[in-house]
Amino acid sequence: MSYIQSLLIAVLVSVSSWSAASSTLNVFACEAEWAALAHRIGGDKLTIYAATTAKQDAHHIQARPSLIAKARRADLLVCSGADLEVGWLPLLIKKSSNNKIKPNAIGHFMATEQVELLGKLDKVDRSMGDVHAMGNPHVHLEPKRLARIGSKLASRLGQIDPSNNALYANNARQFSAELSRAERKWQPLKQQLAGKRLVVHHDNWVYLTDWLGIKVVAHLEPKPGVPPSTKHLSSLTAKLAKTPANAIIYGSYQDPKAARWLAKKSQLPSIEIPFSVSNWKQPTALIHWMDDVLKRLARATKG
Amino acid sequence: MSIDLSIILPAFAAGLCVLLSHIPLGKEVLNRGIIFIDLAIAQFAGLGVILAYTLGIHADDHWQIQLFAFSSALVGSLILNLAEHYFKRHGAHHQEAFIGICFVLAATASILLLNSNAHGGEQLKELLVGQILWTEWSQLIVPAFVGLLVFGLAWRTPSVFKGFWFYILFSLAITLSVQLVGVYLVFSSLIIPALFANLINVKGNHTQTIVALLLGCVAYLLGLLLSSVLDLPTGAVIVWSMACLSAVVLAVFHALKGARIG
Repeated sequence: MSYIQSLLIAVLVSVSSWSAASSTLNVFACEAEWAALAHRIGGDKLTIYAATTAKQDAHHIQARPSLIAKARRADLLVCSGADLEVGWLPLLIKKSSNNKIKPNAIGHFMATEQVELLGKLDKVDRSMGDVHAMGNPHVHLEPKRLARIGSKLASRLGQIDPSNNALYANNARQFSAELSRAERKWQPLKQQLAGKRLVVHHDNWVYLTDWLGIKVVAHLEPKPGVPPSTKHLSSLTAKLAKTPANAIIYGSYQDPKAARWLAKKSQLPSIEIPFSVSNWKQPTALIHWMDDVLKRLARATKG
Repeated sequence: MSIDLSIILPAFAAGLCVLLSHIPLGKEVLNRGIIFIDLAIAQFAGLGVILAYTLGIHADDHWQIQLFAFSSALVGSLILNLAEHYFKRHGAHHQEAFIGICFVLAATASILLLNSNAHGGEQLKELLVGQILWTEWSQLIVPAFVGLLVFGLAWRTPSVFKGFWFYILFSLAITLSVQLVGVYLVFSSLIIPALFANLINVKGNHTQTIVALLLGCVAYLLGLLLSSVLDLPTGAVIVWSMACLSAVVLAVFHALKGARIG
């Protein structure tokens, strides 16, 4: 038992030193892209925690004590919403018993509520399953929406922390300008990519393909989590034989097996695209990541 | 990372509920040599949930879903009970193989059913892979009742476990605990404390139960503390703390015994 005692003492000491540290706002970001955005807008005024990385599927998460502890201390929750985190975020908010981040509270910021969504269903039907009727949640893959979410985030931060309102607003304007500059720089890449045809894993790239004018020819796994049937795979190969695609892409958190299988069958290149930023602590993380995505796509679809 | 009792306590209480029912059941499972029966039954419970979704029952109809899960687990255990009678006459060593076959059939039947249900897969994962840290006090009422019931029955009238009732209690306990703490912790709570009590070689049914329960409780507590300090996924840390704690205690116990004899 003395081991546990000494463990407890060590922990208590570390806790007291930790809690003395900060007078900044605590931000809980569900995904790395929102951690990066919050960091760009708030800088050192925020203490940011990212719950998942680009390598993890934000649908699922392993419950760790730190998740609840961070949610408990959070002043602001920045997540995708539109049911992306439906498997764990409602539970986490409930467990945190933190009124600041409850739905409709000022500290509850969902990126998908700030912009126009694609893939919304007018009529919800049982046969479609009952998820994602709210629209596709992966809004971070397009610069215009990203800039808008940035400025909305800045005004939300300003509401919570009025003393730094001007700073947040200024950073959001700068970020928006950086994105516009980058878009101009990406123009040749965009022209090269427009009209290209891709096979995707499932419907998680709509904002990117919509922005770049890329046509999605087929989906590898139409129902996420359920392995495709032989019928679906043979219809895929038949479709590709008739109307060829340029490449097969899959996200960094997705299993590459299906993509590799089809790549072998169809002689198409299959490439991994990072689904989010890798190091959100860098101020230029989001733009570098988008740059990387575009360059990878251009390389894969060349010729 | 901090240790926050309001995070740890509900999880520990969930562990205690699971241990209360699983330790007597685990002893019986060890005696009968049907170690993997819990994985098969859990898979049947999952199949019941998917069946409910496929038939159009909404995820919010909590009691209907639970009824499907339990009924399906019960059907599975009926099949396994019949098989046990069969294999008693025709060579018991094939029974484990049959349990394994039931497990893969139930698991793959889920995949086949999911093929016609667009998003059922995601919901299924959440249900089968219960995570101990998400436990809330209000969720523990039924598991606590079932835990006390099974523990009390095993304590006072162990003969109940010999017959068919074993399978009913077993499916009920597994259906509840899988959703509460997930399948890895269910398996560990069932097998490790019971095996530990066997290996440490204490005499008497009640003493064995107490020793197993004590080990289980300390292991859950240790796992929860370590997971807080190291910030690692809680369920997995508890499984490891249970296995390591048993190994260490057994090693110390046998070393002391050896020293006394020598």
